[in-house]
Amino acid sequence: MATGLVWPWGAVDAAKPTTLRVLAWPGYAEPEVIKAFETEHRVVVELTTVDSDRMLWALISANWGADFDVLAINTAELQRCVEAHLVRPVQPSWVPHIQRQLPQFQQVQNIPGLVFGGSTMAVPFTYSDMGLIYSKAHFPAPPTATQALWNTRWQGRVLAYDGGVHNFSLAALSMGLPSPFALGQRDWPAAVDRLIALRRNVGSFYTSPEESLVLFKRHQAVLMLANYGSQQLHLLQQAGLDVGYTIPDEGALAWLDCWAITRAAAQPMLAAAWINHTLGPMASDLLVSRQGLFNTTSPSAHPLGQRLWLRSPEDSDRRQRMWVRILSGDRASKVLAA
Amino acid sequence: MRLGIAWRLALVLALVGALAAGFTGFYVYQASSALVVAAAQNRLLTSTHVVKRRITHSRESISRDLQVLSEHPLTQHMLQRPDAMALDGLHTLFKLRMQVNPGYMQIRLMAAQNFGLEVVRVDRDALGPITVQSDDLQEKAHFSYVSQALKLSHGETYISQIVINHERGAHLVENKPTVVMSMPVHASTGRAIGVVAISIDVQGMFDLMAQDLPPDFQLYLANGVGDILIHPDSRLTFGFDRGQRQLLQDHMPPTAPMVRGELDERVFELPQGPHTPEALLAAFVRQEVRVSSDERHLLLGLAQPVAVVLAEVERLRLAIVNIVLALSVACLVVAVVLARALSKPINGVGRAAQMFAQGQLITELPTERNDEIGDLARSFSRMQTQIVQQLEELELSRRELSDQARHDGLTGLANRRLFAERLAAALAHRRRHGGEVALLFVDLDRFKGINDTQGHEAGDAVLKAVASRLRANTREVDTPARLGGDEFVVLLSGELDTALLSALASKLAQAVSAPVPYGEHLLQVGCSIGIGRTPVDGDTADQLLAAADQAMYAVKSMGRNGVRFATPTPDAPSQG
Repeated sequence: MATGLVWPWGAVDAAKPTTLRVLAWPGYAEPEVIKAFETEHRVVVELTTVDSDRMLWALISANWGADFDVLAINTAELQRCVEAHLVRPVQPSWVPHIQRQLPQFQQVQNIPGLVFGGSTMAVPFTYSDMGLIYSKAHFPAPPTATQALWNTRWQGRVLAYDGGVHNFSLAALSMGLPSPFALGQRDWPAAVDRLIALRRNVGSFYTSPEESLVLFKRHQAVLMLANYGSQQLHLLQQAGLDVGYTIPDEGALAWLDCWAITRAAAQPMLAAAWINHTLGPMASDLLVSRQGLFNTTSPSAHPLGQRLWLRSPEDSDRRQRMWVRILSGDRASKVLAA
Repeated sequence: MRLGIAWRLALVLALVGALAAGFTGFYVYQASSALVVAAAQNRLLTSTHVVKRRITHSRESISRDLQVLSEHPLTQHMLQRPDAMALDGLHTLFKLRMQVNPGYMQIRLMAAQNFGLEVVRVDRDALGPITVQSDDLQEKAHFSYVSQALKLSHGETYISQIVINHERGAHLVENKPTVVMSMPVHASTGRAIGVVAISIDVQGMFDLMAQDLPPDFQLYLANGVGDILIHPDSRLTFGFDRGQRQLLQDHMPPTAPMVRGELDERVFELPQGPHTPEALLAAFVRQEVRVSSDERHLLLGLAQPVAVVLAEVERLRLAIVNIVLALSVACLVVAVVLARALSKPINGVGRAAQMFAQGQLITELPTERNDEIGDLARSFSRMQTQIVQQLEELELSRRELSDQARHDGLTGLANRRLFAERLAAALAHRRRHGGEVALLFVDLDRFKGINDTQGHEAGDAVLKAVASRLRANTREVDTPARLGGDEFVVLLSGELDTALLSALASKLAQAVSAPVPYGEHLLQVGCSIGIGRTPVDGDTADQLLAAADQAMYAVKSMGRNGVRFATPTPDAPSQG
């Protein structure tokens, strides 16, 4: 033991290699994808994952984006970042794998919230719609309306997502408002009531796909708003749950996550190389096979419903402030005062 | 420097002693340091188990509080027929519980109906317990600590996940690591009508537990999947709440089998790293959460800087080194003493032998010793006696031999050899100190006739008598010698003059010529004496001998019985 007590005292720090700081969502940067990139470019990838837009915004806005080089962000949040001058344009020539993408994702001008003042600000990477996951045992036919989440028959056996911005959009959608992303001044009390009603009907709110699986089992849930879309369906089915996925008649919110490069990025070309890497066959295939997400290079196998691409809402902060109150259990008067 | 055998022996003894002490010390150190490290590991593990038991006790104590509150008549009353008195009573009860339990951050009673609306709520703020009332009360049915607790049987406890509390208005625990423990309240019908819940400040609770630990102990806590909840580096705690999951098994790989549930406890060494400023010895135990909970397991760990353990080993090492050094010095001293005890008598015998070699007799031998050295001394003493004795005998016989070599065996007079030596010495003396040397060559006349007629014995008797007379008639310093047969010579030295020589020669001639009694006969011989002398006849032995010989022959030729100088001088007759 006397000799066993030799310690690797003071491991010497070798010259630190370049670090690429990536901010992404769970499943976007699989370990082998990171490994391959690190090996190819002789850099270290420092990955931070987020599971809510709120957290993503908090991280990216904290230090004018200087904490990250490249981030995965949906089109709605991208608009905020562009307005806050946190991201920089991406030249398509920097990302040769754009050629592998489906035509509808190459034509960025047709996608709302990608092109600003003629500059492409992000490269589409993956997308999903926020349909409903339902227990096939309890729904002989798939639910056709978002309204099903409020059905008190399933009180305590419904799961919803813990996210203020999306949930207000969801409320607006279920209320039949013309745009889920633009609540009018008179719409707020109804929307808050709607979300309080949702709170009273759910068993729980989840944040990550894994948590949704745990809660789905614990609450013996029959219906869940799938914030992570097919990714969640994939996860639940892998866990042996007999569930289906549907897009209600009024359509589903859909997010398109894109890679954007921060204005503060030390090495924009390295960040572009990362984007190119994630559009390659390895990362694209893993998105589908392991995460159940859609990639932008091959056609999706899912039936298409109406997709309402996420847009920047009228007031994210207000939605979030109110949502935190709703989640804490406050009554409407308290929420509206927030 | 020459090293004596005793000193070499001492050196070997000292070396062997030092080596023995050194090796013993080394192996004792190895065994002991292993024991010290094992003891430190055990201590750490035991402490971890103690903390684990304390957590269990805390949990049980909180469960008892929950049970008291859930079964309290006022609780039932408040849920079924709420009134101000019951509310006041419960507020007081909750506040009292909070006052005695500083770790309690909230105590709440929630109704099963009204979507888990809080009915009674006491929060802790900076000043102490405060009541939360009316519009500030919130609906909590969508939280597990309500929905799950309602499913439990009477008296069962639910424990929430340990998370950062994002519930607004939670006072001191808002945005703080919190765990909520809850218990259903059942009506007499057995229907769950509400939930009592106690929110606990996790950091505060563990800080309290850490107070009883030695100051160099660090406490770690992770949930069942490894999310770090308590860590000395606060950047690593509740990473999942910031989108940067920090897993114990990533930072401390040896805990991975525990997260997987393959091991219940483990002690390991953790090298220095970005989140561990110094190398640590860590002990982790897996704690099963035995009540209904979202957390099925917790990983609890304590760590101690390896340097602290090494310091103990170092103290041990120093002690052993000191002992080894002391033993080595002792060995050296014993060896020196032994060497001196051995070398002194041996050297004594050696010195004695040297003195003996120089011819001195030895008396100081340690013959009285009753050991090998005593034996040696006694043998040496005996040998000395024998050698002295033999030497004396040898000297005696040598002298005899030397005497025989220089004297005539028959007459005892100096023989030719001794005569030649004395003559040379006398000449040398003369050259240096002066004086004169003379030789009287005496040749017997008619001796051959006696030999022939009376026999050799008679001849020998004559020769003996002649020798005796020559000796008797010369001085002590003069040397009469027999050169062979019937030839004699007398060597004289000193102040010699012709008269003296002439008188002596005449006296000798007369003495020799006197009759020699032999049996019944009287035998008579005459003699012819030739005298050679310095300086007139030369100053070398040969010259003197030749001169004396010629003079003697001259006497013979003139008819025997006479004395003649080789060179006559005016003051002396050439024949007498």
